[in-house]
Amino acid sequence: MDVKRDIPLAITFIVGMLAIGEYYTGIEAITDTFTIVKNWGIVLQGFALGLGAVNLFRVHGSRVSTRKRDDWMFSGWLLLMLVVFVFFGLSTGEYDQGATYSWLYNAFYLPLGATMYSSLAFYMAYGSYKILRARNFDAALLFITAVLVIMGNTPLFPTIYPGFFHMREWIFGPIVSGAYRGIRIGIGMGAVVIGIRTLLGMETGYLGRH
Amino acid sequence: MAILTEGRIVPLIALLLVWVATYISINMGKEGKIKIRRIAGLDAIEEVIGRAVETGRPVFDIIGMGQFTDAYATQTIAALSVLSHVATLSAKLGAELIAPQARVDVMPVAIELVKDAYRAEGKLDELNVDEQLPYLSGTQFAWASGIIGMAARLKPAANIMIGPFWAESMMFAETFDRIGSMQVGGTARTYQIPFFAALCDYVLIGEEIFAAGAYVSGDPQQIGSIAAQDWFKMGAIGLSLIGALLSSVGVDIIAEMLSW
Repeated sequence: MDVKRDIPLAITFIVGMLAIGEYYTGIEAITDTFTIVKNWGIVLQGFALGLGAVNLFRVHGSRVSTRKRDDWMFSGWLLLMLVVFVFFGLSTGEYDQGATYSWLYNAFYLPLGATMYSSLAFYMAYGSYKILRARNFDAALLFITAVLVIMGNTPLFPTIYPGFFHMREWIFGPIVSGAYRGIRIGIGMGAVVIGIRTLLGMETGYLGRH
Repeated sequence: MAILTEGRIVPLIALLLVWVATYISINMGKEGKIKIRRIAGLDAIEEVIGRAVETGRPVFDIIGMGQFTDAYATQTIAALSVLSHVATLSAKLGAELIAPQARVDVMPVAIELVKDAYRAEGKLDELNVDEQLPYLSGTQFAWASGIIGMAARLKPAANIMIGPFWAESMMFAETFDRIGSMQVGGTARTYQIPFFAALCDYVLIGEEIFAAGAYVSGDPQQIGSIAAQDWFKMGAIGLSLIGALLSSVGVDIIAEMLSW
């Protein structure tokens, strides 16, 4: 018996069967047991978070102290913000609802996140440019379709000729929905089969193969 | 109280049938009766790692932001299987693997399987977990900007990103494309597939990522299990056609049956 492999596989099977039982049956004992298992998962994640914080201090503290890398100052900034957020989160007793914590979050994190999100517009424009160059027949078809969709989505063109809007609807309906559902069916089947393979202990890549 | 939950009887029967089909296909695989088509994206992984070795630049493997407890767990399992394969090849060929992490529950598993791959190749001393599997952030755009920054500084020769991705997929694909990395992308998140298709050299579409673990293992039993996926897809297509034809003449028996 390979303890490092067989015990995780057994745990995976038992928890997987509980999950299936909980979803398909109304048996109270199974539902209660699965709720306990889910709570264990939450507790374990809490421990992992704590260990993660310790790990961050170890890795980035060493980078700051040795200053061998060009980006050591980012490590310093990370540790500073980690301490600041934890301090203001815990010291007030209001956790993430505290006024200072909320101010820090809204003043530092939120604008940075929003900036990154809004930069997607440029990434998408670049991607569109790359894919819409009509280099061959397939790309030309894609280009024509994209132009028709853009014209249907922009208020100006359907105002001039309502047919642009109907064309867009037709492309999104029979063509895109048909292809999309085909992909969705494949994904659903794939997810079920990988789940079964995992329960049967056939999918062992996530445990290491060696 | 009913033992079976109402509305889930047919799905349960379907699940049991998939289970039986998987068992049969595994046995057929054992006997060498199952042949599956080549998946170019998975075949290309060795090529892109070889390129990284030749150029002396690192290989990135990004497994996405999925967890073991969310709806994308199956994609995370598939991503970890690919990471295991990439780690094995990187250790064997001598490429520097970088696999930034976003989830505290997935990270220890990723570390263990990469260690396992390096240990199997007798190169565990070449692995620096802190530098090669760094935890960046569990928050989407902090994680994304961390990876974009690392990519800009390290200029990897290859990027393999298979797993669940959200809006950050476009940022990754574009950044790695701009710095000249060869890319293999794959996700079952349908909204992100077009972004990967636009910018990656090889793409795994939807279900192909679920076959990745079995495919790269080369094990006939595991490869056999993939066949069940295709059998059921055929069944679903058949059922859809019959359902559409019957609905067209006003008979909704298939739709009603599926809601049992």
